[in-house]
Amino acid sequence: MTLVQILFLLFGLVTLLASLMVVTSPKLVHAAFWLILALAGVAALFILLEATFLAVVQVVVYIGAIAILIIFAVMLTRRVMHDTGPQVNRSWWVALLVSLVLFGGLVLMLAQVPALAGTPAPLMVDQETLLEDLGRALVDADRYVLPFELASVLLMASMIGAIFVARPPSGSEERSGER
Amino acid sequence: MPTDFLPIAVLIALATVLAFLVVLIGHLFGPRRPTATKLEPYESGMRPYGPGQRRMPVHFYLVAMLFILFDVEIVFLLPWAVVLRQLRLFALIEMVVFIAVLLVGFVYAWKKGALEWE
Amino acid sequence: MSIIDYDPSMLMAILPELLLLGLAMVVLAADVIWRPSQRRFLAWLTAGGMTAILVLALIFSRPDASQGLILGGMLRHDWMAFAFKLLFLFAGAVTALISLDFPGVGERGEYFALLAVATLGMSLMASAADLIMLYLAIETTSIPLYILAGFIKVDDKSTESGIKYFLFGAMASTVMLYGFSLIFGFAGETNLYALAGKLAAGQVSPWVIIGAAVLVLVGLAFKISAVPFHFWAPDVYEGAPTPITAFVSTASKAAGFAVLLRVMLAVFPQVEAEWTAIVAAMAVATMTLGNLIALAQKNIKRLLAYSSIAHAGYAMIGLVAISQLGSASVLFYLIAYVVTNLAAFGVVVLFARAAGSDEIADYAGLSRRSPGLALALMVAILSLAGMPPLAGFVAKVYVFAAAVQTGLVWLAFVGVLNSIIGLYYYLVVLKVVYLYRSEDEDKPIAVPRGAALGLAVCLAAILIIGVLSGPWLDWSLGASAALF
Repeated sequence: MTLVQILFLLFGLVTLLASLMVVTSPKLVHAAFWLILALAGVAALFILLEATFLAVVQVVVYIGAIAILIIFAVMLTRRVMHDTGPQVNRSWWVALLVSLVLFGGLVLMLAQVPALAGTPAPLMVDQETLLEDLGRALVDADRYVLPFELASVLLMASMIGAIFVARPPSGSEERSGER
Repeated sequence: MPTDFLPIAVLIALATVLAFLVVLIGHLFGPRRPTATKLEPYESGMRPYGPGQRRMPVHFYLVAMLFILFDVEIVFLLPWAVVLRQLRLFALIEMVVFIAVLLVGFVYAWKKGALEWE
Repeated sequence: MSIIDYDPSMLMAILPELLLLGLAMVVLAADVIWRPSQRRFLAWLTAGGMTAILVLALIFSRPDASQGLILGGMLRHDWMAFAFKLLFLFAGAVTALISLDFPGVGERGEYFALLAVATLGMSLMASAADLIMLYLAIETTSIPLYILAGFIKVDDKSTESGIKYFLFGAMASTVMLYGFSLIFGFAGETNLYALAGKLAAGQVSPWVIIGAAVLVLVGLAFKISAVPFHFWAPDVYEGAPTPITAFVSTASKAAGFAVLLRVMLAVFPQVEAEWTAIVAAMAVATMTLGNLIALAQKNIKRLLAYSSIAHAGYAMIGLVAISQLGSASVLFYLIAYVVTNLAAFGVVVLFARAAGSDEIADYAGLSRRSPGLALALMVAILSLAGMPPLAGFVAKVYVFAAAVQTGLVWLAFVGVLNSIIGLYYYLVVLKVVYLYRSEDEDKPIAVPRGAALGLAVCLAAILIIGVLSGPWLDWSLGASAALF
């Protein structure tokens, strides 16, 4: 086993355990904190995959912004901070069964791919120009300009929606209309 | 290369160890003479009142939303800015459109009073 | 070389989307500028804007003869996509009209802006030819719809509807995204029209492709509410503001089918036998379950929800046929279904506003309270049931004909059997409307001009498509030729 493989397993394990804690910890705030660790694990995996820009994005956007937003959202809730109700409902075994079947199916499916058993081929891109290439691709009309612009529309729409949902109902909005 | 990130990994390890160490040393060697006042949660020197985990005003959430907006904007701006000098006018127009669309969301938030702090 | 290097014809191809984005912004601006008393005209502004975009699209952005990939292969500007775009614009305009004065939504700029953005997303879904583009388009459609479903914040049912739609939708789209990433991983390619070749050249095991196809199917089956991914539909439909229910059950479903047609036919020809078997099984389950559960419904919105599940099943038959007629019949079916269901929900909106109820039992005496509304409901319901000479009848005939042509006589047979089951609960509604008496008969139901216009257009479309189906079928056949 090479060092990279050991590191991969290590970070993968950390990510998995942290994700497990996200769904099992009874307190929402704790779940949010575990989520940050899971996101950090993913950032480390990105580095191992030589996707350094994505790793930075992962830290800046997910850990820096999304996690904060989630923690704020948790603090907005009323009682769930002390949620002591049961973690699972009556159909938990069905969910477990479906998950296991899905997992088994995916493992069987991926076992069919010979390339996954061998050593990975080195990445065929020049790391130095990766970021520049991304910059060009985003605004090139023959590449990704449309998804790029659509991303802004999606962000705008979700922001309008989030603000609409989060704003306290009535009262304040009638006044804001007069301005 | 992943090895370029070795200093960061070392830094993270050091910071973690140091954090534990500081608490541990204080715990082991510090004098402990607790009084009722000392055991109270610290709230900027004020006498604490109410539970520690109470509902936050919704404004924090709205501000965090705006933060995400600009955060994502930066993520897209960065690779674009690296090659801006080699790009044509069209690339500039595209980025202006991108930011203009996001600004619409921002202006909406502003006009709807998301930034008002009562 | 000029400093601006782009081809203006590309911008003309995405003209409807650009204009929809403009419309969303104009609506938001109007919401901020207009006084509260003027804001009820937002519905007219949106409906008028969408109609204008529809006309402009017909004039300026028709696909050219090549029907090729544009903007770096992100979109395919073909007649199939174009037909769906027009359908979405139509559905969006009618939805805006029936939202006029709807309590809680009719004066909200956000509501109409999100409606325009969702329509924009659907247009891009129908023409997306790249996995990245496709996923973004699906999210641009879904996220506004989640918010619209939960738009009435003071109503617990609406909130529940929004949350349920969001949770299930996020789950389904995650699974689909995983499928996309597997496909990309094996093929090293994201363009739908290059994927099949790369998958074949890469000697990828068919089992792996089937696995990826199933994952993708999960996400799309959720969009079209096919069994076993239908369970969200009744709750979401019941709780959402009724105009949004109309929009989700028509345009959003049609967008799901547009993607399904393109992705399944373009990406998975190697495992055609397997995926058609899966889709055929889903079609049978969807039709049967939808119709059987609809029999027991007491609430008109839930009834229409289960009926809309069943209709997804019928349309899937045309997909299974894998032929030009099959795809054309799906398009034709969706056109007929969209105009019909919009009319049905339009009546539900107007009735609920006057009577404050969605229970079928309360529809008693509707024929005396408002003969016009009762007639509209009758035409819509009979078209849903598949009665000649209405649109729903012809649409079913073409779908079944496509199945028979491909040798799937049994599937067509199941479809016919299901239509007979469906007839029962549709006629029960008409029985309540026309034969039962009620104490409220002397209370007439006001029909605002905007909603009346929307209903009239839908009814005219139901009749025209039903009576003069020939040209529409030729048009659909021509459009579906682009997929093969």
